[in-house]
Amino acid sequence: MTMNYILQQLVNGLALGSIYALLAIGLTMVYGILRLINFAHGDLMMLGAYVSSIFISATVVPILFAVMIPTLLMAVMGLIVERTAYKPLRGAPEVAMLITSLGVSRLIQNSTVLALSPQPRAFSLPGDLTKTMNVGGIRFTQLDVLTFALVIVLMVLLTLYINRSKTGMAMRASSENLQAARLIGINVNWAIGAAFVLGSALAGTAGFLWASRYGIIDPFMGFLPGVKAFVAAVIGGIGSIRGAVVGGVLLGVAEIGFVGFLPPEFSGYRDAFVFTLLLIVLLVRPNGLFGASEVERA
Amino acid sequence: MLEIRNLFVAYGKIVAVSKLSLTVNEGEIVTVVGSNGAGKTTTLRTVSGMLKPQSGEISFKGRSIVGLSPEAIVTRGISHSPEGRMVFGRLTITENLKLGAYNRKDAAGVKIDMERMFEMFPVLEQRKSQRAGTLSGGEQQMLAIARSLMSRPTLLLLDEPSLGLAPLLVEQIFDVVVELRNEGATILLVEQNANEALRISDRAYVLETGTVTVEGPSIELINNPQLRAAYLGLD
Ligand SMILES: Nc1ncnc2c1ncn2[C@@H]1O[C@H](COP(=O)(O)OP(=O)(O)OP(=O)(O)O)[C@@H](O)[C@H]1O
Ligand SMILES: [Mg+2]
Repeated sequence: MTMNYILQQLVNGLALGSIYALLAIGLTMVYGILRLINFAHGDLMMLGAYVSSIFISATVVPILFAVMIPTLLMAVMGLIVERTAYKPLRGAPEVAMLITSLGVSRLIQNSTVLALSPQPRAFSLPGDLTKTMNVGGIRFTQLDVLTFALVIVLMVLLTLYINRSKTGMAMRASSENLQAARLIGINVNWAIGAAFVLGSALAGTAGFLWASRYGIIDPFMGFLPGVKAFVAAVIGGIGSIRGAVVGGVLLGVAEIGFVGFLPPEFSGYRDAFVFTLLLIVLLVRPNGLFGASEVERA
Repeated sequence: MLEIRNLFVAYGKIVAVSKLSLTVNEGEIVTVVGSNGAGKTTTLRTVSGMLKPQSGEISFKGRSIVGLSPEAIVTRGISHSPEGRMVFGRLTITENLKLGAYNRKDAAGVKIDMERMFEMFPVLEQRKSQRAGTLSGGEQQMLAIARSLMSRPTLLLLDEPSLGLAPLLVEQIFDVVVELRNEGATILLVEQNANEALRISDRAYVLETGTVTVEGPSIELINNPQLRAAYLGLD
């Protein structure tokens, strides 16, 4: 096994991990405030991928649209899902929201099947983006570079927004103590809406990236990445944005490592590996890597 | 200023407050005492819009506030410093104070009030960019009070501000309450520390299983030997 091979796997792992990170951010923000595991999050990624595919196949529009339009549309979609499905359940037991999110997930998947088709379809990027470059023996594509750049820029912007803006401050306060936030007059519906809008926008971006990477889309493609991204968020420490990013990247690298370094007959167990990893992390560090300790939460 | 009449509040089937009437006049400190589970917190949470009453009337400055959101009630001038402080431990002290002024539009005024809080509570200024979770219990209570003052309330609800504090800090907190009143604030104070609370307040109510059993000027409650033994657990 050469050094190049290891580095190559690392590049691939980072690329996959960046997408998990994008998805995990939305999941961790929503969980932080509502204690909701939003199973429908990955399905927004899927919708984003379909929206993106419209612009990919129309060669006349710049590729930028294929990234931006799904991002914006999913932001709106996320807010619609929040207001119609989850908001009526405010104050209901957490399990009611959980089950609702599973329902929303199914609804989105099956609507897509009905409206389009259950058949997978190709998602082929323009040639430039997938052309491989060779730097010191490590191959990567423009898409890889685009993925890293996009993820880094989005994360910096998001972090600035959460840390500096008034809404960001309200989101952090709501995530720490929803009751106290309401009591001092924070409009928590606004903060929750913001979490959905931002998180779903990132899921839309992720839709483009995921589809570009695998070249194929189908109505059920979002569910598993969504669940894995939740695993990443838990590994990083649920509620923490930094944790979601680190957890996502680690998970991507670990998953690719598992496939790339073990004999091929193990590859089929990659999903099982992800969930085993989760169990181990939870045993060793129940609050994840960057999770607030119970003392801090009190 | 605040008028509660015939209030009933329940959690599901458990009735926590029944037939409660209570008045706070402008410029007063009014104390509510009562044993654990008497319904003190429930009453305050209903006033601040966190709980909806089953029936009864709550009016503030002559207008009903029943059914308004907590946000709207804060905007009308009632601020509630909750039992157990509930400061945002992962946010800085400055951020906690800014959030107290969340619904205010006058940025300049907010800045002035922030300075005022730092004058009133110098510990907070020294540590303003630290996370609130690193403050001691007493300091967190100061922060909780300061945070609720940042909305410029005309009525301040304080739920057990001395809870769990060492005697010296309890003194400090009560000094702050008196100082606020001297500056013109109106305060509804819930306290287990009945002796102290009665000493600084004008009038008081004794709550038992969700309803008022005794009310009157604080001085009378302090000196009423029967009350001292039966309700206040003094002596
Ligand atoms: N969230 C809740 N769900 C159900 N019952 C509740 C809830 N909160 C309070 N209660 C009940 O309502 C009654 C009044 O409680 P409340 O917290 O108002 O009392 P309190 O006077 O503030 O007591 P303490 O001095 O212990 O703070 C109690 O019997 C309590 O068990
Ligand atoms: Mg109480």
